[in-house]
Amino acid sequence: MLDIAFKNIKRQKSRSILTILGIMIGIGAIVTLGSIAEGIDETVQNSLQLSAGKITVTEKGSGFFGFFGELTDEDIDTIETISGIKDIVPVLFYTENTVSLQGPEWIAIGIDTKKGEYFVGENTEIEEGRNIEEGESGVAIIGKRFSEKYGLEVGDFWEIKGKEFEIVGIIERTEISDVDNSIIVPFDDLKEALNTDTFQLIYVVPEDVKDTERIAEEIEDASERLDTLTSKDLARQAEELVNRIRGFTFGIGAAAACIGGLGVMNTMIMAVIERRKEIGVMKAIGATNTMILKQILLESALISLIGGAGGIILGILGSILLNTIFVQTTPIVTPSLTITGMGFALLLGLIGGYYPAKKAAELDPVEALRYE
Amino acid sequence: MNNIEYAIELKDVKKVYGKEEGLEYEIEVLKGITLRIRRGSFVSIMGPSGSGKTTLLDIMGCLLRPTEGDVFIDGIKIDKLNDNELAEIRRNKIGFVFQQYNLISALTALENVELPLRIAGKTKKEAGERATELLKTVGLSHRLYNRPSQLSGGEQQRVAIARALANNPSIILGDEPTGNLDTKTGKFILRLLRELNRKKGYTVVLVTHDERVSAYADKIIKIQDGKIIKEEKK
Repeated sequence: MLDIAFKNIKRQKSRSILTILGIMIGIGAIVTLGSIAEGIDETVQNSLQLSAGKITVTEKGSGFFGFFGELTDEDIDTIETISGIKDIVPVLFYTENTVSLQGPEWIAIGIDTKKGEYFVGENTEIEEGRNIEEGESGVAIIGKRFSEKYGLEVGDFWEIKGKEFEIVGIIERTEISDVDNSIIVPFDDLKEALNTDTFQLIYVVPEDVKDTERIAEEIEDASERLDTLTSKDLARQAEELVNRIRGFTFGIGAAAACIGGLGVMNTMIMAVIERRKEIGVMKAIGATNTMILKQILLESALISLIGGAGGIILGILGSILLNTIFVQTTPIVTPSLTITGMGFALLLGLIGGYYPAKKAAELDPVEALRYE
Repeated sequence: MNNIEYAIELKDVKKVYGKEEGLEYEIEVLKGITLRIRRGSFVSIMGPSGSGKTTLLDIMGCLLRPTEGDVFIDGIKIDKLNDNELAEIRRNKIGFVFQQYNLISALTALENVELPLRIAGKTKKEAGERATELLKTVGLSHRLYNRPSQLSGGEQQRVAIARALANNPSIILGDEPTGNLDTKTGKFILRLLRELNRKKGYTVVLVTHDERVSAYADKIIKIQDGKIIKEEKK
């Protein structure tokens, strides 16, 4: 009786449209906000690939990713005493002009140039120009987004704290924000520009990946001020973080959608009151209570599913809009997000429609027929 | 074992409205009605307002259960059946025609007649064919796609009759079917019902104030204060 359900929805056009809009906005919110969580997940997963097989050493209590840490050459000496280490790579970060919603506009990374692959990933290629050569000074390679944002090309200059760097290469797009938004310069140059002896993190690369956990433990045992993160720890922490963001965004979206669900309930209650006599007629001509229940539920589910489909389109548009605001992350509408949106819409329709449907099914046919 | 020579049989049926209906005191609307309506007959139940004739029709139409007494429709005892079983009897054995026509305003004439067929599980195609044929029978083949608001009272009542016939019931129950119609149209509707009764063998029971109905009926049952006061065979 889908055709009849459609006809009934079309009867009160403006009311149905408003109800559908309510669901659309709710589901749109779930999808848009969800796309941010999915985007963050994607970014984190990409970043995690970089840390695979190495240990990130930070100063204890120095904040997320050791951003406020102050590690020194002494810490490198401590780590060097441990066996089974292939490489130790100190990394220095510098940012200015942090915009809260978008994150830092750019990141300067000081790294030993011949070990730069530990930061940008082994398979990342230089798209234009060349890499920094060993022993070079006053040169930089930059990420794709950084170059696009500031219109920089090979041969241009960029100043960090009064020290000029000539851009010699542009790194291909990686979709890892820490790489795409950065300017990578020789470690000693950045230390000099910032006039500092400390740095925020050290990558420790084991000779054998199987030794990762052992080396991490030994580093922590060797110095009380050092914290280690293996890729396993990072993955776990990242998953926790992403799940929290996912839960939070879904919560906000779901709250909006529930208000839409109340709209469905209200619309269906009105419809049942208005069509009371018709429900009596349906019963008189042989419809059972279950048939009436199903018919009303079908109508409310239909309203919600139309709203849900509209909400998904709205959500995709919303995520495209957000994409222009967020630089660090690209919001992604995944198939599972779409299914969640439609599933939630259907659930709202069924829950919102159940009470009025039950009321309709339980109507006494004699009373309903005499209703004016 | 009941004799299914009778389409409807009532034995000492009482109906009391009371607390269940939200009343503070009890009212006995039917005070022991016993009647038999022979298959294929045309019966008129007459009586003043408040005599209990509509309640009686509701019980015969399986819309209401009696407080006491036995009710047989086509030989089936209905007073102990559950809601779904009653709905099945209404679907298959009874066709209703109301004073207010009670067509569904969002549906066309054709869709209104299709509705009982769809409820009975017929496909859209099967229902469409049968409904078209029935609307032709009542002289409305040119009005298939009109909505009730685009039809005159007489036309709406003919659509309602076609709908009542949809599942080929044995009984047509009419509650003041001519009550909202002018004399000429009312006469037309009564003739149509009479013709269906004579030619197709439907049992027709009409509850009415309309004295003209007596001209068409085989039997007139007069009730007053919940009791049968007179049965007149013609």
